[in-house]
This record gives sequence, C-alpha cells and structure tokens, in this order.
Amino acid sequence: MEYEITLVTTMAISVLFALSLNLITGFCGQISLGHAAFLGVGAYTSGMLAKAGVPFLLTLPLAMLLAGALGIVVGLASLRVRADFLAITTMGVGFLFVGVVRQQDALGAEMGISAIPDAGMSKAAFMLFTVALAAATALLSSYVRRCWMGRVFAAIAEDEDTVRVLGIDVPRFKLTAFALGTALAGLGGGLYAQQLKFIAPDSFGFIESITVLSMVVVGGIGSVIGVTVSAAVLSVLPSWFQVIGDYKLLVYGGLLFLMMRFSPGGMAALVTRIFHRGRRPAK
Amino acid sequence: MLYVELFAQGLVQGSIYALIALGLTLVYGLLRILHVAHAAFFTLGGYVGVMVANQTGSLTAAIAAAVIVAGIGGILMFRLCYQPILHQPPFVPLIASIGLYIAAEELFRIIFGPSGLSYKDAFLQGQVVLFGTLRFKQAEIAVMLGSAAIIGVLSLLQTRTRIGVACKATVSDPQMAESFGISLRKVGDINFFVGSALAAFAGVMVSVLNNLVEPTMGSVPSYKGLAIIVLGGLGSVRGSLAAALVLGVVESFGTIYLGHLLDRNAIAFAFLILVLMWRPQGLFARS
Amino acid sequence: MSALLRVGAVTVRFDGVTAIDDVSFDVNQGELLGLIGPNGAGKTTMLRVITGVVRQTAGTVLLDGKSLDGLPTHRRIRRGLALSQQIVTPFRRMSVIDNVALAAGADRTASPLKALFHSGRKRELEIGQQLLARLGIAPQANESPEIQPMGILKRLELARSLALTPRLLLLDEPLAGLNSKEARLLADTITEINRSGTTIILIEHNLGEVLRVCRRLVVLDNGVKIAEGEPTTVMNNAVVRSAYLGTGAAAQTGEQHAAA
Repeated sequence: MEYEITLVTTMAISVLFALSLNLITGFCGQISLGHAAFLGVGAYTSGMLAKAGVPFLLTLPLAMLLAGALGIVVGLASLRVRADFLAITTMGVGFLFVGVVRQQDALGAEMGISAIPDAGMSKAAFMLFTVALAAATALLSSYVRRCWMGRVFAAIAEDEDTVRVLGIDVPRFKLTAFALGTALAGLGGGLYAQQLKFIAPDSFGFIESITVLSMVVVGGIGSVIGVTVSAAVLSVLPSWFQVIGDYKLLVYGGLLFLMMRFSPGGMAALVTRIFHRGRRPAK
Repeated sequence: MLYVELFAQGLVQGSIYALIALGLTLVYGLLRILHVAHAAFFTLGGYVGVMVANQTGSLTAAIAAAVIVAGIGGILMFRLCYQPILHQPPFVPLIASIGLYIAAEELFRIIFGPSGLSYKDAFLQGQVVLFGTLRFKQAEIAVMLGSAAIIGVLSLLQTRTRIGVACKATVSDPQMAESFGISLRKVGDINFFVGSALAAFAGVMVSVLNNLVEPTMGSVPSYKGLAIIVLGGLGSVRGSLAAALVLGVVESFGTIYLGHLLDRNAIAFAFLILVLMWRPQGLFARS
Repeated sequence: MSALLRVGAVTVRFDGVTAIDDVSFDVNQGELLGLIGPNGAGKTTMLRVITGVVRQTAGTVLLDGKSLDGLPTHRRIRRGLALSQQIVTPFRRMSVIDNVALAAGADRTASPLKALFHSGRKRELEIGQQLLARLGIAPQANESPEIQPMGILKRLELARSLALTPRLLLLDEPLAGLNSKEARLLADTITEINRSGTTIILIEHNLGEVLRVCRRLVVLDNGVKIAEGEPTTVMNNAVVRSAYLGTGAAAQTGEQHAAA
C-alpha cells in the first residue's frame, strides 16, 4: 500500500505542476522553458521555513507568494522581449536559479537541504492533501478557461496586437498569467519538498523544465483534462516499467518530437479528431 | 598578464561558440526556428571524428568524415523533421527540436556508453608559446585559426557566388530565395549542410582539445548557442559571431570573478538577460 | 461644430525618413472625414500616431480637448477610439460572433480581476447578434472566420470595432480587396454608421466611393497635407491632381489598388 500511496502523491504533485505551466503556456501562449525554477523557489522556501520551525501548512502560502512574486519579475522581463526571445529568456532564468543556488552555502549549495521536518500528517493523509490540491488546481484552471480572463488569454495567445486594439491591457493580463502559474508552481514545490524531505538544485534544472513542458505539450497545450492525464501518466511511467526507467529521457524526447510532428495539439487534439470522425454528419 | 590570458582563453571558447552559432543563425534566418537539435551534430562530429581517427590515424580524414556525415544528417533533419512542420506556430518546431536533441543525446549514450570515447593518439596537444608568455595548446590555436579561416571563406562565398548571395539574402528575408530563382528547399539544404558541418568541425576540435567525446558534450552548446544568437540579434550573422566571442570572454572573466556567486552557465545567462533588458532586440539586431 | 479630434503639427521621423511632416487637421463631431493620398503618403502612419502604435516626433493629438500623449494603445481605445485595420485580423480560433462578443465585453476585460470574477456572456452575445445583423452577416455568426470570404471578414472587422461603442472610428482601407458591388454596399453601411452618430475617419484608395460618401477630405502626399475641404473642391485642386497622376496611380473612379 505504501508504494501506491507514494505513487499517487507523485502523480498529484506532477499534475499540479503541469497545470501551473499550462496556465502560462497553454492559456496565454507564453513559452516558458524555465518553469522548474519556480518549483524550486517553492521547494526551497517551504523547506527552509520548515527547518526554521514554521508549521508546514503555513510554509505553503509563503512559498506561493515568493514564487509568484518572482514570477511577476520574470513576467515583467517577458514583456520587454519578443516571443522568440521569451523562450530563451525563461531558459536563462532557469539556469540562473540553479546557478545561484548551487553556489550558496546557506541554501546547501550542491548538496541541497535535507532532513526537512515532517508535516505531522500520515503518508495517506498527505496523499489525500496533495490530490485535493491538484483537483482544486484543475477546477481553477477549468474555471479560468471559461471565464472572461480565459477568453482574453486565448485571444492573447493567438494575436496579442489585435487584443490591444480591443482596449485590453495585454501586459497586465500576461503578468496575471505568470503570477498565477508561478505561484501554483511554488505550491507544487512546497509539496515536493515535503514528500521527499530532501531537495537539491539539480532537481530544478533545464531537464525538469523540459519534462514538465513535455507533459503539457503531450496532453495538449491548453487542455486541462489532457494535461492532467498526461502529467499523471508520464510522471510515473518510469516507475511502472523498469525498462523505460533507463530510457526515460529517450521516451520523453521521442514523444515530444513525434507529438509536434504529427499532432501539435497533443492528445487532446487526437481525441477530438477521433470523436469528430465518429460523428460523421457535422452539426 | 592574467587579464590577457583570460582574454585569450575567452577567445578560444568564443571561437567554438562562433562555429556553433553560425549554423544556428543560418537556420533561424531562413526558417525562424530555434534549432536546438543543432548541437546533436556537434556531438555527432565528435564521435565520427574519434572513430575515424582511431581507425585511420589521420586527423584530416576524421574531420572530413565528421563534416560530411553531419552535413548530410543536417539535410535529412531539415527534410524529414522541420519541413513538414514549418507552417505551424513557432512553439511547435521549437519543442520538436528540443525533443530531437534529447533523443539524440540519449541515443549517443545508449549506443556508445555514458563514459565516452578517447583518441588513441592525442593530436595537437603540443604547447605553443606566443608573445613570450601566452601558452596555448596547438589544438587551441587550430580552433581559432580554423574558425577564422572557415568564416572568412564562407563570407567570400556568400558575396561572390550566386548561391551564396541568395543564402545571405534569405537570412534577412526568407522570401528572397524565390526572387533569385532558387527554391527555398535548396537554400534550406545548403544552410543545414553548412551549419551542421560547422558544428561537427567544432565538435571534432573540442574532442581533440579535451581528448574526450561523451554524450552530453552537446548540451551546453545547445542552449548556449541559442543564448548567443539571441544576444547577437537573431538573424544577424555578424551579430552572432560578435556575441559568441563576447560571451566567451565574459564567461572567462566571469567565472574567475563571480564564480563564488554563480556557476558558469548562470553567468552566461545572467549576461544574456541583462543585455536583453537593456536592448530587447539583441546587441546587433537589424532594424 | 466642435472638434472631437485635433491633430496638431504632428511630425513623425524615423531612420532618417520623415513619414509625416507638420500635419494638422481637425475631425468634427459627427463627421465622415476622408483621409486620402497616393501610396506612401503617410495615411496609415497617421492612424498609428492617433492610436498610439507609433509615437510622434513632434506635435499633439487631442481627443475631446485632452491630450493622448503617452497613453498606451489600450487606454486610447478606452477613451473612445476604435480601429478597423487594413489587413483584417479576426481571431481564427473563435467563431464570428465570439470575436464580436469579446470586443463587446470591454467592461469585463477592463482588468484581470474583473475578468476573473465574471463568466457569463449573455449580454455580450446579444450585442454581438445585433451588430452582426446590422452589418448583414448574422447567418455566419457561429461559423469560423477561416472559411469566410473577404467581404464577410471586412464586415466582421467593422462589427468588432463597433462593439467597442467608439466615439471616433478609424477605418483603414475597409474597401480594399472588395469588388465594386461589395465596395459600394460596404460604403453604404459605413455611411449609415456615421449617420447614427459615430464620427469616422476613413482612409481609402477607392476614390469613387470616398467622393460619394465623405463630406470633407484631407489629402496627404509624401507626409505633407496638401489640401483640405469639400470633395469637389479638393479634387479640382491642381496640386492634388498632380500628386495622384504624377505617381502613376490611377485616380479613376471605382478602380481598386493593392493595399500599400
């Protein structure tokens, strides 16, 4: 039972993390290649505060706040640069985070921080807690998509210059997307730190940013259900098939490429295509 | 004296970056794609180079083989991987390219093993002393001279031959190729061949410098290369070259003076971000 | 007659080129003003200065007596402007009516917070229906813009601008790409919009329609204002005639020209 509990907890945290990126990339069209940095900010904030005696549940909102604040800073930077540059800039942010943390002894340098205090919940309770948060994030994402903010996001993702001409304050909306997405990533980070009780800078590097991006892409950028399913499956795939474990990166890389080559809309688009083929007469 | 040495080291690293950046710029200028997978040819060049050199004992043969194999590989990648998705929004080729690179790196690891290969006879390891006190390995001199020579030749080709002019024009205006009566596909083939060949040459030279080829040797160049062309102004050949050299020097000095705060990659990207905040279009962007 | 928009001594220079040189004109409340001139005269640049996409090197733009200087585009739109662009830009991933409804929801999209707390669209969809009907494209409401011909897309662009309930509507070559029948019909619609109270600045190459619907013209050539006044007076002006004929652009009535 313990193994399954750990598995589900990992899935839930990954789903939350992927949905947080989906908000930025999927809803607002801003490509972020450094999202793992915000997971890291949340993890370190929560971990360090917990070690300093702050109760676990209290560390979470603080982790979200710090991650979100940094997200706004990065968001402000993103406003200055064109789309092509944005991907590289966010990549740079990711490297900057890892590079700074690795050199700070106060943050444990390369070895990271360990012995993060237990939250006082049983493993099962913690699992339920993370699942609840993941579900809440999914519901929030769905709601955002349906409300006016989601409509603006979708328009921005398609053609932000025209959105400006409709009298909409595009920079402010983009920043909001960043703040929300990064704050949620920070939440994921806090949970991550609590689950493992040990974190190191290399867990939040470029590969992690690409991994979470691939979950969003494979699921279908913008699709809440697609991203949820793909994140849940991809996060535990290596554990289910030991064979894949060693080839994990090969699978990720291959999947990313094949998805983009044959179905850029991800699994969500594939599913939609199958359903439309099923009901032949169009509405 | 320390400054001069740091500067010289920076130039060596910068020359390597320049070889890689040139290929990236050619592809970006033509297709507006951030060709992350470019670094796979860097690594491929290294592996082919080592294997051929160990078989034949000749560095020249190794370089020739690496360059040709990578060049053809580049054309294949263009035709099979990129051409079909050119009409998609920009994140599609970017993510496809990232996927390709990750898969390629893993394939190298799976096929050749994680610890890498070395040259049986180390080439160009002898010392050269310039200006009385600057010590260089022969390989380092070869890299700098080689890059300068290659880039010089390419410049000439670009201005003297019709195809060259068409390629150059397409870097700033992709539609230009058609007006020269040359198909986009042909220009694409040439750009990818040349770019990948250059990356492979860089890969061979780096493997000679370190006497080691290993699967992850391309990962740093892959994303740093992008940082460089962004720094240079995306689509500007001159800009990329300048940015490559500047970055090499900045890293060289940065790791000495800021190494306690940031690691090497962080320094490179911090520099990039600062420059972009000051000049969002890059250092040498065309207006 | 009060001036709704006042362009005062606007000059625009970039890269060593003077795109607009000391141009001044007023647009009066309720007017349908034609802004014409040969290709490259600076007409689109002028619109861009008014909407804030381009910053003028010198001069002022006043809307209702208040300066627009320094305001970003979206704030100017909120002050009562709307722009219909030369190259139509419908959101292709939404339906025709969704495009208009988005614009109609200006209240809801005023800030991210407001946008987050509202999800209903009933009012905006109704407004959308009305506008589509007014512009004669109600049948296409639930279709995708991707399959629409240019005539429909031009009307969609117009409907979207109207959804912002502007006081001043800026139209950049709305008739470009339309055949003479479609152009005449759309020009009539524009006239009707003007008659119901919306002030309009109309940039057009289709001189036949411009002369038919506009009561007053401002003529630009090479960034300079060369004439202003009633259509017949302006077109009889020798300077204006030579500006058009001199560039080889045909001033034939009803002829279409490729967009600049």
